[in-house]
Amino acid sequence: MKNHKKWLSGPYAVWAAGFTIIPLLMIVWYAFTTEEGNFTLENLTQIAAPETVKALALALLLAAVSTLICLLLAYPLAMILASKNVSQTNFIVLIFILPMWMNFLLRTLAWQTLLEKNGVINMALRFLHLPALEIINTPYAIILGMVYNFLPYMVLPLYNVLIKIDRDYINAAKDLGANSVQSFLRVTLPLSVPGIISGVTMVFIPSLTTFVISDLLGGGKILLIGNVIEQEFKQVNNWNVGSALSLVLMFFIVINMVLVAKYDKDGEGTTF
Amino acid sequence: MKRQLQRIYMALIVILLYAPIITLVVLSFNSSKTRAKWGGFTGKWYAALFQNDTIMEALYTTLIIALLAAVISTVIGTAAAIGIHSMKRRARTVFLGVNNIPMLNGEIVTGISLMLLFLAFRVRFGFLTILLTHITFCTPYVILSVMPKLKQTSRYTYEAALDLGATPLRAFFTVVFPDIMPGVLSGFLMAFTLSLDDFVITHFTKGAGVDTLSTKIYSEVRKGIKPEMYALSALLFVTVLVLLLLVNMNPQDSKSAPTFFRDAEGRRHFRFSRRFLLGRLVPALLVILVAGGGIYYGARAGNGNTNDQLIVYNWGEYMDPEVIDLFEEETGIRVIYEEFETNEIMYPKVKAGAVAYDLVCPSDYMIQKMIDNDLLAEINFDNVPNIKNIGSVYMEKSRAFDPENKYSVPYTWGTVGILYNKTMVSEPVDSWKILWDSKYSDSILMQDSVRDAFAVALKYLGYSLNSTNIQELSEAQSLLISQKPLVQAYVIDQVRDKMIGNEAALGVIYSGEAIFTQKENPDLEYVIPKEGSNLWIDSWVIPKNAQHKENAEKFINFLCRPDIALMNFDYITYSTPNTEARKLIEDESIRNSTIAFPDDEMLADCETFQYLGQDADELYNRLWREVKSK
Amino acid sequence: MSNKLINLVDITKVYDGQTVLDELNLYIRENEFLTLLGPSGCGKTTTLRIIGGFENPDRGQVIFNGQDITTLPPYKRQLNTVFQKYALFPHMSIAENIAFGLKIKGKSRQYINDKIKYALKLVNLEGFENRSPSLLSGGQQQRVAIARAIVNEPKVLLLDEPLGALDLKLRQDMQYELIRLKNELGITFIYVTHDQEEALTMSDTIVVMNQGYIQQIGTPEDIYNEPQNAFVADFIGESNIFPGLMIEDRLVEIFGAKFACVDEGFGRNKPVDVVIRPEDIDLVKPKKGIITGRVTSLIFKGVHYEMDVMANGVEWTVHSTDMVPVGEEVGIWVEPSDIQIMHKPESEDEEAVSLEES
Repeated sequence: MKNHKKWLSGPYAVWAAGFTIIPLLMIVWYAFTTEEGNFTLENLTQIAAPETVKALALALLLAAVSTLICLLLAYPLAMILASKNVSQTNFIVLIFILPMWMNFLLRTLAWQTLLEKNGVINMALRFLHLPALEIINTPYAIILGMVYNFLPYMVLPLYNVLIKIDRDYINAAKDLGANSVQSFLRVTLPLSVPGIISGVTMVFIPSLTTFVISDLLGGGKILLIGNVIEQEFKQVNNWNVGSALSLVLMFFIVINMVLVAKYDKDGEGTTF
Repeated sequence: MKRQLQRIYMALIVILLYAPIITLVVLSFNSSKTRAKWGGFTGKWYAALFQNDTIMEALYTTLIIALLAAVISTVIGTAAAIGIHSMKRRARTVFLGVNNIPMLNGEIVTGISLMLLFLAFRVRFGFLTILLTHITFCTPYVILSVMPKLKQTSRYTYEAALDLGATPLRAFFTVVFPDIMPGVLSGFLMAFTLSLDDFVITHFTKGAGVDTLSTKIYSEVRKGIKPEMYALSALLFVTVLVLLLLVNMNPQDSKSAPTFFRDAEGRRHFRFSRRFLLGRLVPALLVILVAGGGIYYGARAGNGNTNDQLIVYNWGEYMDPEVIDLFEEETGIRVIYEEFETNEIMYPKVKAGAVAYDLVCPSDYMIQKMIDNDLLAEINFDNVPNIKNIGSVYMEKSRAFDPENKYSVPYTWGTVGILYNKTMVSEPVDSWKILWDSKYSDSILMQDSVRDAFAVALKYLGYSLNSTNIQELSEAQSLLISQKPLVQAYVIDQVRDKMIGNEAALGVIYSGEAIFTQKENPDLEYVIPKEGSNLWIDSWVIPKNAQHKENAEKFINFLCRPDIALMNFDYITYSTPNTEARKLIEDESIRNSTIAFPDDEMLADCETFQYLGQDADELYNRLWREVKSK
Repeated sequence: MSNKLINLVDITKVYDGQTVLDELNLYIRENEFLTLLGPSGCGKTTTLRIIGGFENPDRGQVIFNGQDITTLPPYKRQLNTVFQKYALFPHMSIAENIAFGLKIKGKSRQYINDKIKYALKLVNLEGFENRSPSLLSGGQQQRVAIARAIVNEPKVLLLDEPLGALDLKLRQDMQYELIRLKNELGITFIYVTHDQEEALTMSDTIVVMNQGYIQQIGTPEDIYNEPQNAFVADFIGESNIFPGLMIEDRLVEIFGAKFACVDEGFGRNKPVDVVIRPEDIDLVKPKKGIITGRVTSLIFKGVHYEMDVMANGVEWTVHSTDMVPVGEEVGIWVEPSDIQIMHKPESEDEEAVSLEES
C-alpha cells in the first residue's frame, strides 16, 4: 500500500526536474561557455571586476543589516503575538499577510512618495519644525525598503516557533529561579533557533538578490549584485556573464541552505 | 504598563506596514495625474479604471494565472506531499531538498534559470511561460504547508477506514483528506498570494502582449504610474480587507468558542474554521470574477483570429490609447501593445526573437544597430502613402542612421536638454557646466541610460557624442564620476514627476517631456545648452521576423495621418515630424514653441546618435557600470 | 507535623467569567505529603499553579512561612515544581537541565557537579548526565524532572500529575519512589492527581476538590472510611450510595428497611445519604439478613467477586471472596459501624457536586 503512495509524487518529481534542476544546470552551462558555446572560465573572472565586487559586497552588507533589523523588530512582535489568545492572533497574523495583496512594486513605490524631499514624511516633519529626513536615494532607503517588504517573512516563522514552545518550559525556568530575562536567554531564545534561522533565510536571500528595491528607492545610484545581473540579462545582453554572476549568488544561497538543513530539520520553522 | 507598551509597539509596526498602503489609497483619489502633486479629490480614476482595457486585461491575466497556478500547484503539491510522506527517510530528504530550491534560491536566479530554459527549448514567451513559472515556485509552498498536517494525521484512522471496507481512494478522501484540508487550503491561499504578488520571476519569463499587474506596473514606474493603477490596487486591497473582516466577525467563531479550554485542540479547531471560511469565500469570489472576466475577454478575443494581429513594441506612454482603439475599429486588426523603457532593454528582446514583434519604435542609433545586425525588414512604402506628410527635413536627418530611408518612418523627434526650476536656479542656464556645480548638490537628476549620460559629458567636453576615442571616453567617465556625488538620482522618465514636484532643481530631460512639465509647473524652463546636444529621432521599424508585416505597414500609414499624428502629439507632447499635423495644432504658442520645434540655429551643434559597433557598445557599458557602482 | 508552612486564604480565581476557585481556604503543614485530588476541571491544578506563582488569584492571599507571597514571581519563591509533562528543556542535556537552577543562582562549578551526581543517584539515574531528554523513557524523564527540582533544595515540591503519563507498573514503582524521596529529603510535597489510588497510597493528607470547592480534607483513612458527602464517597473507591431517612439516632431507613448504625445527631426523620462500601456488605442466608434479595450478576475480579444483588427494588453492589451463583436468594447484612450517614446537600455550594463530572 505504502509503495503505491510514493508514486503520487511522480508528477512533482518530473516537474521539479524539468523546471528546477535543468534550468539551474542551464545557468551553469551558460556560466562556463562563451556566446559561441565554447568552454571558458572568463565569465567567472568577471566577478573579480571591482564594480561587481563592490555591488556584491554592498548587497551582502545591506542584506545583513536589514536582516538584523528585521530580526530585532520581529522578535518582540512575534513574542507579543504568541502571547495573545488564539482568536486574536489569527486576525493579527492575517494583518501581516494582508499587505501582500497590494502589489509589491506599488508598495515600494509608495515609499518614494513618503520619503522624497518634499514627500509626505518631510512635509509632516517640516510642519512640526523637525529636521528633514533625507534618506531617499541612499542605502538607508534601500534598507528601509527591504525591512518593509520582508518583515512578514521574519515575523511568521518566529511566531510559528514561539507559539509551539510549551509554556511549561518557561514556567519551569522561572520555577527554577530564572527571572524573565534569564528564562528568555536560556530557554525561549535557544528553543526558537529554528525559527530564527528560517526567518533569517527568508529575509536575507531576497534582500541579497533584489534589484527592484534598489532600483526604486536607490535613485539608480546604488548598484547591488541583483541590479548587475538584471542589467547583464536585460540591457547588456550578456547572458554568459549574467549566468556566471548568478552562480556566485547561488553559492551564498547554498551556504544558507546548508544552515537551514542543519538547524531546521523538521521544517517546523517554515513560514506558512 | 507592559500591555500598553506592547500595544504601542504593535501599532508602530502596523503603521510601518500600512503607511505605503494608505499613501496609495490617498493617491487613488488625487485628481492630478502625477503623484508629485495633490490636485484635489476625485473619484474619476475609479471610473476610468473600468474603461482602461490594458489594466483590466492585466488584472484578468494576473487573477487567472494566480488561480490556475494555485489550483495546479495545490493538486501537484498535495499529491507530492503524500508521496513524500510515505517515502523512506533518505528519499524524503532528497525530495525536500529539491523542494527547497525554488524557495531559497533568489527570485532573480529562478527567473533567469527559467528564462534560459524556455529560450533553449524555443518556447514562445507568453501566458504559458508565466503559468509554468508560477506553478514552479508555488508548488514548494503547498508541499510545505501540507507536510506538517500529514505528520499529524494518524495512520490508524486510515487503516481503520480500510478495515471498515473503504477502498484506499475512498479511505483517503473520507479520512485523511479532511485532516490535511487546512494545510491544503492554506497552501492554496499561499500559492495564490505569491503568484499575485510576484514580479521578479514574471519579469524574466513573460512575453509580448501578456502583462500581469506587476509587470505592467514596472513598465509604468519609469513614466509615473497611471492613477487608475492606484485605484485598482485600492479596490483589491479593500476587497480582501472586507473579506477578512467578514470572516473574522463571523459570530459562530467568537460566540460558540469554548473559551475556557485554551489547549492545543481548541487552537487547531479555531484555525481550521477560520481558514476554512477564508479558503471557501475567497476562491468562490475569484471563480466568479475569473469566469466573468473570461467570458468578457473571451468575447473580445473572439473578434479576430491570429492573422488579424499586430504586435507593437513601443516606448512607455508613447501613444494615445485612443489611437489604437480607432485603428482596431477601422481595420479590425487586434493590436497587442507592449512597452519598453530604453533602447537597450528593447534590443535584446527583439534580437532573441522569443516574441515576434511586428512593429518597434527604437531611436536613431539603435535602428542603425538593428540594420547592421540584419534584424529589420524593408518597409514597402506602397503601403504607406501617408509618408508624404512627414517633413522632408526629417527624412533627410534619418539618413544618418538609415542611409536609404528603407527601414524606418520617423515618429517623433526632439532634443535633450536641461530642465530647471526658476525658483531654485537664479543664474542663467546655458551650459552643461551647471550640472557640475556643487551648489546644486543633491538637486540634479541625470538620465539613467548609457548613451544619454555620456552624451552630456562628451558634449560638455566639446567632443562628439559618437566618440569612440578611449581617451575622450575616459575623460567623460571621470567627469561623470565626479558628478555622481551631486546627483540626486539617475532616472529616466521620472525626471518629469520629480521636477514637477519640486524635488530637484535641474534635470536632464527629453524636450517632449519639457512641454508637459511646464503645463504642470510653470516654474520650469527648458534649455538646449550652447555646447550642443543630442538631436534624436524615434522611428517605426519592422523586425525581420515580424509575422504580420502588412498590418504593421497599415499601422504606420495610419500613424502618419495628420489627425492621428496630432492626437499623439497632444497626448505625448513629443515633437512630431508630421508637418501636416503641426499645421493642425490649435494652440499657437505650442505650434510655434521653440521647445517643441527648435529652429535650425539652436540645432546647429546637435548630433544624432550613431551605432558605434559592438566593441564600442561594450566599452560604453563597462565605463557606465563603473560610474554607477562608484 | 508541626506549623503551617503555606496558608491559602480566600483564594478566588475566575477565567473568562467562569469561577475556577471560590474562596478556597487551605493550609499545608511542614513536611507533609498533601494531595489535591479531584476530577479534571475541579481547580486542583489552578491551586497548585497559584502556589507555584504561575497564576495570580483574583482575590485572596498566599501566605508562605508567615509572609504574603501572593504576587511574588515564581523565580523568587522557595518552591519547585515537577511539571505534568516534565518540561525538560529539549535543547539541554540531562546534566544541563539539572544544573539550570543552580547556574542561575551562580553556584560554583564544583557544587553544581556534586549536586548533579547526588541528584542523579537519588533518582537512580547515575551516568545519564550527557544524554538528551528526548532519548529517555517517560519514567526516566520523570526522575530527571524531580532531580532538577530537588537540587535547588526547595522547602516545598509541587508535583502536577507527575505519574499521569506512565504505564501502570511504572506508576506503582514511582509511587514508592516518591515516598522514599520524600522521607529522605524531609520536605513538603504538594501533589496533584485525579487518581484516588495514588492519593490513598502516598498522602499524609488528602484534599478532595470538585468544581472549585474543597469537599473534604483528611487522612486517607478518614476520606475512605468516612466520606462527608456523596461526591467524596463516589470519587474515592466504589460505594453504594442510597437516599435514606434518619429515623432517630442510630437507626436509618433505606428503601423501607431499617438498619442499625452508629451515627447520632442528625435529628428525627431527616432525609440523609447513606454510604455502604461493597466490601462491607455480608451476604448471609436469606432469613438471616436485614433484607432479602436475589443475585443478578457475578463477575470474578481476581481478589474478590463482584456481585449485584437486587433487593427492595435497588441494586446493591457487593464485594466478597465467597461466590454466590446468579439467581440465588440471599440475605443482606451490614455491621452498624460500616454504615456511613451523610447530610443531604443543603447549600448551593454543595449542590455543585456533580457525579457525572468524574
